[in-house]
Amino acid sequence: MFDALLWWFTAPLEYAFMRRALVACLALSFTAPVLGVLLTLRGMSLMGEALSHAILPGVAVAFMLAGFSLPAMMLGGVTAGLVTVAVAGGVTQFSGLKEDAAMTSLFLIAMAGGVLIVTLSGNALDLGHVLFGTILGVDNATLLLVALASSLILAGLAVAFRALVVEALDPLFLTLQGRHAGWTHALFMTLVVLSLVVGFQTLGTLMAAGLMLLPAAAARYWSQRLEGMLAIAIGLSLAASVTGLLVSYHAELPTGPSIVLLAGLGYGVSTVAGPCRGLWARYRGPRRESLPQ
Amino acid sequence: MEAQHASRLRLHDLQLAQANRTVLEHVDGRFRDGAVTALVGANGAGKSTLIQGIMGMLRPVRGRVECAVPRERRAWLPQQLALDLTFPMSVEELVMTGSWPSHGALTGYCARHYRRGREVMARLGISHLAHRPLGELSGGQRQRALIGRTLMQEAELLLLDEPFANVDVETVDVLMTVLRDMTANGATIIVVLHDMEQLSRLADEVVVLSGGHAEWTSVESIARGQAAMAGTARLSLGIPGVRAC
Repeated sequence: MFDALLWWFTAPLEYAFMRRALVACLALSFTAPVLGVLLTLRGMSLMGEALSHAILPGVAVAFMLAGFSLPAMMLGGVTAGLVTVAVAGGVTQFSGLKEDAAMTSLFLIAMAGGVLIVTLSGNALDLGHVLFGTILGVDNATLLLVALASSLILAGLAVAFRALVVEALDPLFLTLQGRHAGWTHALFMTLVVLSLVVGFQTLGTLMAAGLMLLPAAAARYWSQRLEGMLAIAIGLSLAASVTGLLVSYHAELPTGPSIVLLAGLGYGVSTVAGPCRGLWARYRGPRRESLPQ
Repeated sequence: MEAQHASRLRLHDLQLAQANRTVLEHVDGRFRDGAVTALVGANGAGKSTLIQGIMGMLRPVRGRVECAVPRERRAWLPQQLALDLTFPMSVEELVMTGSWPSHGALTGYCARHYRRGREVMARLGISHLAHRPLGELSGGQRQRALIGRTLMQEAELLLLDEPFANVDVETVDVLMTVLRDMTANGATIIVVLHDMEQLSRLADEVVVLSGGHAEWTSVESIARGQAAMAGTARLSLGIPGVRAC
């Protein structure tokens, strides 16, 4: 029994492509959920999801110019993501309307444009790869880029974490301080774009935000403390990505959807069983605590 | 009389607009240092607009705001609903964020900051809530924590938008004492108030906003106006009677 379990876990790792895929998943799992928790706390989950589609045209143009080269596509994705964030921010500032409408419009345009470019210069299989990810096609150069991007994200988070948290709670406070507000937001969006491009390798542009947002949304049902949420989100993300990878290998399923569905399962269980605001916790009624002094 | 007092916040022929509609114009005046100035006016009279203008969140159509208080010593508490109550942050963590101006957002807190944070919480009577999440606080407790942040910030210019709405009587007393202490240390405080009783307890000066203009007046004349004229006059000044807390 134990041997069978061990085999289930280790056999796939005899293949170099599976090992590389595993490392890519781990890199993504340590960074994306942290940004996801910050996104959900800002009420920007949908924005993160939409932004994941905005990297598509950059990926598509890189594909058109350089063929199916993951490093080139990553670079294209980062560029497109940052341009979209900047343009959406600019449009919002110029018009005074809320950011979500500008973002959504841009993302729709980006998505449609990207799909057109890929289909015009490639075939349906390429489009499938771009949309749904090619984790098993990650080569050493790409892995290096993934590791580099993830390290950058961790460093950025380490430096600006407190500012990011306070901006999420009370943007006004940070704005009034004047010095950090604009930069903090720009840094945050840059980190999100970087993380989405890392996610795009694993999950494709359609689901790049999957490991970012699902574990983060689930974590809110388990902890009321930020540290707790982060730990749970990262743990859930690790579990979903590693298990998803292995399940997809053994059951011959596509990797991206397997991982996202497992993270989704975690989210579903959390909404029911989570001790903080979960259905079960609510059903049992309020906790009986002693009154404050 | 105003000219005798020092003032680090002055408005010069200020005109402010929201969505191309002029809300206030020809606003000239100064806010005294070390005093509480109450802003009163009916809904839509421009109280929030004026606060936004003073805080630099709204570009003046004409005129200017002259403020000698450095940015990091300015604090603004909008009405409390603006905060996400499910946010995973404790009272102590919230209070501590006020220490950024002195040591920056990127470095960690040292023992001195924590000591000061505890002092601030003790002063506001929220020491026992230090580790409680914001979402589990009552309106009054939350308001104390937010004022704690401005104390931590050593704010010299403080703008409060209805700080006593949905707040228990005891908190009102504690906050008034703290605000008076801040003014004794030279802070300039501007507070939007509706309650006449609170206004006469707290304010040193009153700015009445109506018809797109601002008029500086004394607490006594407002109180006299209230006493002399019954309900209708109150409405014209935008000061309804005592609100239930």
